[in-house]
Amino acid sequence: MHIPDGILPASVCLGGYATAGAAAWYSLRKIGQKENPREGIPKASLLTAAFFVASWIHIPVPPTSVHLVLSGLLGAVLGYYAFPAVLIGLFFQAVMFQHGGLTTLGVNATVMGVPALLCYHLFRLRRLFGSDSRLGTGICGFLAGAAGIGLSALAAMVILVTTIPAHLDAAAERASIYALTLAHVPLMVVEGVFTALVAVFLLRVKPVLIEGECREAPARRVRGTE
Amino acid sequence: MRKKQFAVAVFLLLSFGVSTAAFAHGVRIAYQTKTAVEISAAYDTGEPMAGAQVTVYAPGNPAAPWLTGVCDKHGRFTFVPDLSQPGTWDVRVRHAGHGGIIHVPVGEALAAAGGTPYSPLQLVLMAACVIWGLVGTALFFARRKG
Repeated sequence: MHIPDGILPASVCLGGYATAGAAAWYSLRKIGQKENPREGIPKASLLTAAFFVASWIHIPVPPTSVHLVLSGLLGAVLGYYAFPAVLIGLFFQAVMFQHGGLTTLGVNATVMGVPALLCYHLFRLRRLFGSDSRLGTGICGFLAGAAGIGLSALAAMVILVTTIPAHLDAAAERASIYALTLAHVPLMVVEGVFTALVAVFLLRVKPVLIEGECREAPARRVRGTE
Repeated sequence: MRKKQFAVAVFLLLSFGVSTAAFAHGVRIAYQTKTAVEISAAYDTGEPMAGAQVTVYAPGNPAAPWLTGVCDKHGRFTFVPDLSQPGTWDVRVRHAGHGGIIHVPVGEALAAAGGTPYSPLQLVLMAACVIWGLVGTALFFARRKG
């Protein structure tokens, strides 16, 4: 899912930077509208560290292997902090380990960060179950974790399939891209379960960490419509 | 009856004639030693990039591929560069949107570079520094809040 340098044409890389810039601006604006924007930074910073190392945890899915991404977890727990967290995590992965690349940073941030923001809204549906319902939190956590990977894998697939260079054997490359995308289905389950466990654990140990997003949501919405 | 025998005789003659003609062509095999470049491509997990597509670019012409091919199941690909074009040959390996490019100097010193130039220990140390930076940020802002 981390697209390296030299795979995508320059126009797609530029487009990626444009969408990532827009998403970052929107997220930062939403964070700035909070009563205390600094409040979420410790949480966001720790989860950025988790995101940064998660890509080292490889899960073999024959014939290939996939790694944890944690974008769904970041979205569920961090809300709008998730996008800057993904951007910073990807930057360090690209600079330190050549995992991803600097030219494709924008594309990768869009592919992983935008689904994270969608997962945040998906996770907030747990209010329908009541905000201290463990079952509801578990189900919505699972959905958020699975959707984060699923949407990212689909977005990466669309970008890669539409930009296969002309000199390659397009059919073979397309088949291998489809195989890699399918390999993310087991990962969706793994990340979904992981996100659900973390969400239920936080609900039991320190519900403020995930409830904060729930409580603030209506207030922000009112402010937005004014 | 006689006609039939004649036909058989003609057939035999023809077939011998054809086969002796085929044996008459000798085979000449010559050999020539050349310097080949073997690319071995693997993911950073160590798993070989089997079936990855390889594109070789000659120096001075980065637009048109000089050779294309596919890695074997061990992620290896061998090609013989044209020694009349010395310089840096670029070899691009790609599989399912993953891949990279390696620069092979041909003509002068044959040495290859590419991939991550760090040892695992250095990588762990670098990761630890980044994590400490993020944890430190978290601690700093957590303290301000209190």
